[in-house]
Amino acid sequence: MSGTSDTADTLAEAPSPKQEFWQGVCDESPLMFGVIPFGLVFGVLGIESGLDPLQTILLSAILFGGASQVVFAQLWAAGVPALIVGSSVCVINIRHVLYSASMAFHLRHLSLRWRLLLGYLLTDEAYAVSIKRFTNGRAGPFQHFHLLGSGTLLWTGWQASTIMGVVVGKTIPESWSLSFAIPLTFIAVIAPIMRTRAEIAAAVTAGSLATICQPLPWNSWLVIAAFGGITVGWTVHHLNNAKRCAG
Amino acid sequence: MIWFIMIATGLFTFATRFCMLNKTVGKQLPTWLVEALSFVPIVVLTAIIVPAVLIDPASHKIAIADNPRLIAALVAVSIALITRQVVTTIGAGLATLWFLQWAA
Repeated sequence: MSGTSDTADTLAEAPSPKQEFWQGVCDESPLMFGVIPFGLVFGVLGIESGLDPLQTILLSAILFGGASQVVFAQLWAAGVPALIVGSSVCVINIRHVLYSASMAFHLRHLSLRWRLLLGYLLTDEAYAVSIKRFTNGRAGPFQHFHLLGSGTLLWTGWQASTIMGVVVGKTIPESWSLSFAIPLTFIAVIAPIMRTRAEIAAAVTAGSLATICQPLPWNSWLVIAAFGGITVGWTVHHLNNAKRCAG
Repeated sequence: MIWFIMIATGLFTFATRFCMLNKTVGKQLPTWLVEALSFVPIVVLTAIIVPAVLIDPASHKIAIADNPRLIAALVAVSIALITRQVVTTIGAGLATLWFLQWAA
């Protein structure tokens, strides 16, 4: 940014792998205040839904995505056919394609082993902090260690809090309505990020469809609500753009 | 069966994370797909929130009046907009729900 000596500076002062890794851990740590309670709640909820402890814990390692794990447990407990459980989880997780696309520029040159590992660790929270490092920070030869650090902290915290939730789950009385923490967590995630008219239209559509479609067979409400919401949001977005161009 | 679904959805999820890091795929996604995918978190999470708040767990009917979960959710929305903190939002929502259940 500051002139011609930049390239030389970068080579001389580029952070070491260790520094990048710990910077990733540091940048990720504030987010753990949200992740650990969520993991606890998932552990409790998994047991409540009738998954056994091993299934609950391994779901955190295999899926490694909070919202999709909650939906998996809820639908499975409701006796929903496997195909619908599967497609609902897939609809939720398809957003990762966006993260993958935006990371591709920074990670594609790495070896297959690195890309497989970092792909596995690419969650909402790790993406959020490491893409900031990649786009705003000074490019360095070891910057991928930043994502390794943020992802590793997130992974460890998520697995540990799931296990804690599984262990204490049995002792929490039903009257605490702890499963209500799930919609509350999601409110905390989306309320601050909803801005545009298109996003609000998408949310209203999805919420209404999900509620109205509850009695439909095979718990198909989630998939219907998702596609309906995306269609409306996308349409409003384009109508707005068209209006702006015309006016 | 449950193990099969766990592993299948796990592989799918991994594929969504890894796909664009794959060197054989083009670097750019089509614009319409990026736009559509950008709505996924909002629509999916709202679709989970709204029924969980509005539908009474006992009667399985939509409840607007006399619904402590709706009030707790509205409190949570305001706290989320003000503080932008996950823990504070969950705490405020649960505390509201407990208070209303205790007061009823």
